[in-house]
Amino acid sequence: MSLIQLQGISRVYGSGPAAVHALRPTDLSVEEGTFVAIFGASGSGKSTMLNMLGLLDEPTSGNYLLEGRNVAKLSDADRSDIRCRKIGIIFQSFNLFSHFSILENVCMPMRFAGVPRHEMHERAAELLDRVGLGSRLAHSPSQLSGGQCQRVAIARALANRPAVLLADEPTGNLDEKTGDEIIGIFHELVAEGHTVVMVTHNAEYEKEVQRIIELHDGNVVRQ
Amino acid sequence: MSFFYNIESTWLSLKHHAFRSLLAMLGVVLGVAAVVGMLAVSEGARVESIERIQRQGVDNIILHSEEPQANQTGGETIYFYGITREDIDHFRTVFDNVKKVVPIVELRKTIYANGKPTDVILMGAAPEFLALSRSKNADPRGRWISESDGALASQVCSVGVDAARQLFGLEDPLGKTVSVYGATFEVVGLIENPLKSKLAGKYDINNLVYVNYETLLSIFNRDALNVEADYVYVQVENLAYLKNTADRVRTYLNETHELPDYTISVPYELLLAEQATQRIFSVVMGSIAAISLLVGGIGIMNIMLANIYERTKEIGTLRALGAQRRTILTQFLFEAVTLTGLGGILGVLIGFLIAVLIKYTAGMPTIVTPGSVIVALAVSILTGIIFGTNPAWKAANLSPIEALRR
Ligand SMILES: Nc1ncnc2c1ncn2[C@@H]1O[C@H](COP(=O)(O)OP(=O)(O)O)[C@@H](O)[C@H]1O
Ligand SMILES: [Mg+2]
Repeated sequence: MSLIQLQGISRVYGSGPAAVHALRPTDLSVEEGTFVAIFGASGSGKSTMLNMLGLLDEPTSGNYLLEGRNVAKLSDADRSDIRCRKIGIIFQSFNLFSHFSILENVCMPMRFAGVPRHEMHERAAELLDRVGLGSRLAHSPSQLSGGQCQRVAIARALANRPAVLLADEPTGNLDEKTGDEIIGIFHELVAEGHTVVMVTHNAEYEKEVQRIIELHDGNVVRQ
Repeated sequence: MSFFYNIESTWLSLKHHAFRSLLAMLGVVLGVAAVVGMLAVSEGARVESIERIQRQGVDNIILHSEEPQANQTGGETIYFYGITREDIDHFRTVFDNVKKVVPIVELRKTIYANGKPTDVILMGAAPEFLALSRSKNADPRGRWISESDGALASQVCSVGVDAARQLFGLEDPLGKTVSVYGATFEVVGLIENPLKSKLAGKYDINNLVYVNYETLLSIFNRDALNVEADYVYVQVENLAYLKNTADRVRTYLNETHELPDYTISVPYELLLAEQATQRIFSVVMGSIAAISLLVGGIGIMNIMLANIYERTKEIGTLRALGAQRRTILTQFLFEAVTLTGLGGILGVLIGFLIAVLIKYTAGMPTIVTPGSVIVALAVSILTGIIFGTNPAWKAANLSPIEALRR
């Protein structure tokens, strides 16, 4: 069984003549433990697809099986719970909570999952240590560089041991060298058995990943 | 989500927007301060007026003899007027629900002590006056005027503690004499009224000299007195029927007195009137409070909406990380309630200050009651809930994807 299975998933914004078919009906599956990249020009529907996978948006049609369970039409509370426990999201602009320490940032998903305080702090420290920020737990995001912020975001995404990590242009705000470091972390995670789905339009990364999905005007043109 | 997290996150958010938060709180702070301050003033006034009335005794009907005005007598000068002994006997014997009838007559003549004139006033009082006025014997060697003093027309008197000081200075008053209008009275006792009450709301009880009522009437005749009683306290048995008894007294006096040579005051009725006034005052205060807190609430709503607008992306991120709607709702509601709650506490403190300031600058009595503080705080918190719910609801119902797009 595939970790992720999309069956005829589509997303239409608006209706009538002004409707935008951001994602046309798509069948797609992602196996556990793979590093997948979604390529495509700007406006081709990459973010739309990632938002579907992350349960941030609801499909206009189709089914989404995550670990075999159809999650396409669940209640908001159930979707929130799946986002919390099964999905780790990484943003282009990091989206860290600027008034909390990085330790607190990593704790946040665990708070939503109801992890006991002690265990939460321990795991957050462990995760930050593993992305090389173990000595800066009390720092605030504003004291860190962009690359370091994205590492915090990765640690935060890993907090609840999600089934899949989703990253929307994670290197988009970083210079090349720092971006490569982030890709390096993803490689390590995949090697450990994690599944990573990353949106990018940097063709350089084509050779880095195990699987390429290419979008063009809302259609999957390569997978 | 833990309560602790809400506190922490609220604290960080308020700290982040300290000045704005303070401005938002201002409405609540001023509203609560005004309410606490004004309630303190009204409570001070209420307690003072009620105490003043209670010192006259709520279970009494007080009759005053009044000299009729010339226009009421057809130009005739009336030498003798007021409540009579006959009236007093009638109340004592015919009326029910009457416990005691205590007449007092004032001798409007100068008292001499050690041969010198003084300003102290002499009263002829029935012996029941001591208990009725809640006064007590101030010197164990002495005694209060008795029934038998009246029966024997003994020329003895009992003096109030302040009167004793005026008459005899630091000397021991017991055994001394005072003379008035040709009669001499021996001081046999010293009394004190701990409440510092006033007789008929007029004379300081501690500053009078008392002779038995019957004695006074038998010694002095009509050239010294033009009334048989200046004041008559009619004490009732049962407060529940006081109004009825007072009405009967009114009717009786109205029927038996040709001229309006008396007035009746009923402290209990004054008390009721006072309480009614107080209720109206409270309603007015309540309305002012409601309006000022409404304004405060709108301020809070405003800041919360601005907060949410500004933190839309943060809300989207929280939702993307798995926060439930109710988590977001609680967090923003908690912030609003914290704002109004803190505003309420600050307002209470400022209200206290206002009360103290008014007490010492305007000399008005002020009392901050625990009740007013509790109500002010409860209303502040309620304001937070009422005006925080809508913004918090908005935040909770933002779609994650829309929120993240900011
Ligand atoms: N909320 C929206 N309303 C209308 N159109 C949208 C909305 N979001 C995205 N789109 C449109 O959907 C298409 C795909 O967008 P997106 O998935 O963001 O592209 P990408 O991430 O590949 O740049 C674009 O044409 C975009 O304009
Ligand atoms: Mg995009």
